Amino acid sequence: MDAMVLGAWVATGLTLLIFSFLYKDTPLFKLAEHLYVGVSVGYTIVKTYDTVIVHLIVKPIVEHGEITLLIPVAIGMLMLARYVPKVAWLSRYAFAFIVGMGAGLAIPRTISSFILKQVEDTIRPLLSLAGPDGVTFSMNLLNPASNLNAIIILLGVGSVLFYFFFSIEHRGMGKAVARTGILFLMISFGAAFGYTVMARMSLLIGRLSDLIEFSDASYGRPTLWLLILTVGALFLLGRRDRAHPPDNQ
Amino acid sequence: MSIAERMLKIDRRIIFLVIGLCTLVPLLYPVGLPIKISPEVRGVYDHIESLPERSVFLLSIDFDPASKPELHPQAIALLRHAFRKNLRVVTMTLWVSGTGMADQLVTQVAKEMGKEYGTDYAFLGWSPGGQAVIINMGQNLYSAFPSDYGGKSTKELPVLNGVRSLKDVTYLVSLGAGRPGVEEWYVFGKDKYKFELGGGCTGVMAPGLYPLLRSGQINGLIGGLRGAAEYESLIGQKGKAVAGMDAQSATHMAIIVLVIICNVFYFSLRRTARMHEQVR
Repeated sequence: MDAMVLGAWVATGLTLLIFSFLYKDTPLFKLAEHLYVGVSVGYTIVKTYDTVIVHLIVKPIVEHGEITLLIPVAIGMLMLARYVPKVAWLSRYAFAFIVGMGAGLAIPRTISSFILKQVEDTIRPLLSLAGPDGVTFSMNLLNPASNLNAIIILLGVGSVLFYFFFSIEHRGMGKAVARTGILFLMISFGAAFGYTVMARMSLLIGRLSDLIEFSDASYGRPTLWLLILTVGALFLLGRRDRAHPPDNQ
Repeated sequence: MSIAERMLKIDRRIIFLVIGLCTLVPLLYPVGLPIKISPEVRGVYDHIESLPERSVFLLSIDFDPASKPELHPQAIALLRHAFRKNLRVVTMTLWVSGTGMADQLVTQVAKEMGKEYGTDYAFLGWSPGGQAVIINMGQNLYSAFPSDYGGKSTKELPVLNGVRSLKDVTYLVSLGAGRPGVEEWYVFGKDKYKFELGGGCTGVMAPGLYPLLRSGQINGLIGGLRGAAEYESLIGQKGKAVAGMDAQSATHMAIIVLVIICNVFYFSLRRTARMHEQVR
């Protein structure tokens, strides 16, 4: 059998088994779920072994004599000391190395990229002084750099920060500012949720597109045959559950 | 039981069926709704369009098959555009679970565009370390990737002639489904080694990346299947993303209608309950 055709049958079967969860949680879904986890982990282990152990450690040491690679290998091996209680303390050196290096690399770069750059972008002039007209104010909402958007961002950042400032009771004017903050937060959550819905629907579109493609005769119509099989299996499982209800105790 | 009560207690499987049909029918019978190009997608397109021939374009395919429906069409459209512009295309991934898929994707598009491996493009594969790989590539690309995915020495690849580190990359696009992805390429790559960076991401991630776009930290952003459809329209080669846009619009409309109906029933029930309380 052609690998493409076999792949189409496997992909179709697993998609339908996963979709069976929309009807109810059945052993069919569990089977596909466990297969997914197992294949993902197996693939990751094999690729990691091949790339790291074979290509980045063994080959350079054996073929090119890069003995310095033994230093990171030794530090990495210290991690395994956790499994031997008597020498478990050795693993702390490896962790200390990783945490120290990770923090050293990440902290300055993250502050520079996500705090300083973003603060710089938030503090924009509310009026533009450049140009022959002197002071100008651009009202274009669609232009992220317009003065109107700069004011909206200022209001949003200020009110949201105030909402999370709990040392002052949110009463009177403070309540109005905090409420404005909530409004900005809600708009932000709404936008995030809208994009999430779009993403999930895209995944559904992807699977259904494949199912439509695999319903073609050139693949042997796996969508049709496996759909009948899945529906039949769900029917039989439903009958079995009705005859022998699962004992909750 | 009133209609409102019945509708609010409706079996959720009926809603699944409605959404399923709203997705399936437009896929089978496409209408061809117009696709408007957003400035963020045009940003990536215009930058690639402005690059001279044989510039080095690095595409980091930072996703795995779980995000394939959204990011695969983006990668295909970007590769087609880059190959059409005769750029030197270097591809890689920071996600170990995406290596096989990335290799298949790059090989398929290169074959379709008649490009030769080693001369016109290369797939470096995966290297462990995430952000450390980016830093390593910024210092010496060949120490991060001593060999390509097929095991060939990267120093012998003509496509990498004159490329020593990320500083020699003309344009880099990361298609990320999480971490490491676009943000890591900015933080540990562009911010330090000063190359131009564009991004592509899943729909879930897009709102989080807009601040980077506004501040100019990335020069363009392709968000989700919608972004992929826009890019396919820009290069004039419509593919799976454009085909899925009708279904996307139909499901969005169905969800909006369901939300409105649910709210109408909810408020009508609440009003009825209040009226009953007043009568008592």
